[in-house]
Amino acid sequence: MLALQLTIAGLQTGALYALTAVGFSLIFGSTRIFHFAHGATFIIAAYLFYFVNVSGYGVIMGVVAATAGAIIFGLLLNRFVYVPIQRDEGSFFTVFVASFGIGIVIENVVGMIFGRGFVTVQTPLSFSVELMDGLYVSPLAWISMLCAAIFFGILWCFLKYSQMGKALRALSDNPELVRVFGLNPRFISACAFTIGSILVVPAAIISGATSGLNPSMGHHVMLISLAATIVGGIGSVAGTLLAGLALGLAESLALLYVDSQWTEAVTFAILFLFIIVRPSGLLGRSAAH
Amino acid sequence: MEAYLLNLVILISIYSILGVTLNFIMGYAGIYSLAHAVFFGVGAYAGTFMAMHVNASIFVTLPVAMAAGAILSLILALPALRVRGEYFVAASLGLQVLAVTIFSEWKSVTGGIGGLIGIPPLDVAGFEVFKPSQFIFVTVGALIIILFIINRLVHSSFGRSLRAIRDSESAAAAFGKNVPLIKTISVVISSALTAVAGVLYASYLSFINVESFKLDTSVLIMAMVIIGGTGTQAGPIVGAALLLLLPSLISYLDFLPQTEIGSIQQIIYGLGMALLMIYRPGGIVGRKKQSETGKE
Repeated sequence: MLALQLTIAGLQTGALYALTAVGFSLIFGSTRIFHFAHGATFIIAAYLFYFVNVSGYGVIMGVVAATAGAIIFGLLLNRFVYVPIQRDEGSFFTVFVASFGIGIVIENVVGMIFGRGFVTVQTPLSFSVELMDGLYVSPLAWISMLCAAIFFGILWCFLKYSQMGKALRALSDNPELVRVFGLNPRFISACAFTIGSILVVPAAIISGATSGLNPSMGHHVMLISLAATIVGGIGSVAGTLLAGLALGLAESLALLYVDSQWTEAVTFAILFLFIIVRPSGLLGRSAAH
Repeated sequence: MEAYLLNLVILISIYSILGVTLNFIMGYAGIYSLAHAVFFGVGAYAGTFMAMHVNASIFVTLPVAMAAGAILSLILALPALRVRGEYFVAASLGLQVLAVTIFSEWKSVTGGIGGLIGIPPLDVAGFEVFKPSQFIFVTVGALIIILFIINRLVHSSFGRSLRAIRDSESAAAAFGKNVPLIKTISVVISSALTAVAGVLYASYLSFINVESFKLDTSVLIMAMVIIGGTGTQAGPIVGAALLLLLPSLISYLDFLPQTEIGSIQQIIYGLGMALLMIYRPGGIVGRKKQSETGKE
């Protein structure tokens, strides 16, 4: 029964990991921008929702504010940091450092405003219901999985059928060809940032109610996103999704054997194993070098 | 005032060692590590363990600490350096997170979250160094020796191979360079020298705990190198001095809330990193645009 309990908890965590990680993977895969401030997007969305909710404007306004905040942050960062750097052939590292620096700024600004301790979004949805003898599941678990299913369904249709979705996939294959074809890579990048940032929002909001928020959790978010992107295969959205789910499950099921402070070690072990055994990831093209 | 200055110079030289060693892999080999504080910590804990349980002589503590740092870095580098740069960033971030857990849980060696107190002073050939006015010679001396070692390495054929790899990995491989091997050696050398800073730090403060070896420290060291100038000799030292002076400079500005000095410091260097990358990727000491350095 404990295993079943942990499996459901793992699926819940995994669904949220998958959403966050796919956001990063989509941006990285299509634009090649190492968007380390993805963790900062998560923090901004989570704290905006928390703030609006605590101020008494309700859940809907909170979701609107969090979504708007995440999109605006992503687009501003792209326009005023990444585009200028890429103008003079910014290397992987230049982009990474700038992104990292912005992440530090956001973490500390949020810490100064909301304090460095944990805050939690209070909601009756986080109370667990006894489903079977000894099996407790909170409605949030189902909401997380449902959210992930809906978002990924929409994303899949978008990437497969819409003009912009095709352009995004084309950009990850060959940016030069996209330009020759008469599409504007700049605009497609902006779209990638918008979608990638939106995908963070449900995970950020639900985490606020389940595990609580902390200004420095952006690094944890980034570790998960990076691990899922690599384990899934760089450039593969489906792979990242699977890897995110698997990481969540593994962290949760590991509790059968180890104490909770070692869950991050499990993520690290899986990541390391993949780097050694299969660097191209679950579904990645074999281009690790 | 004199004690304050001594303390500052000692800390600056310890952090300069950290900056110089990180710069060796970052600036010359193009390997971006978020785990530099781990090797700093491993050096500190290994040196302290030897000093408290075996012998406090630096001829015991330093080699053991360096070996511990080298072995750990080898475990990280062997798999992670066979693949692209993003993988090393991810693996080192993972190692940093994992190391903090180990530092706080392995109580018999690290003292847990409470840390270790009463670390014996540095024993240099039977002479106990504990006064700051003496210690300053040890740290500055160590910095000079490490600078010298790295300077020699950078200007040797090994250093040229490193820069070739940084600028184009495939071109270096095409010239018959064993890219993974060269990168791994550079990481091992860097980590072993980083451990020296750990030993000095532990015996200077005579107290260490996990707080000094968290991700924040790795980030701080990286900021020092980047703001000072990656791939330059003086850059990391300038960066270390600048960022360590920053808190006291901030505390002179009365209108800023004194309780938030740590946050303000981090905001300043976070912004600094972002702005430098946009306008001057070479850092303060470096040249103006990266494209120029690529042509040397």
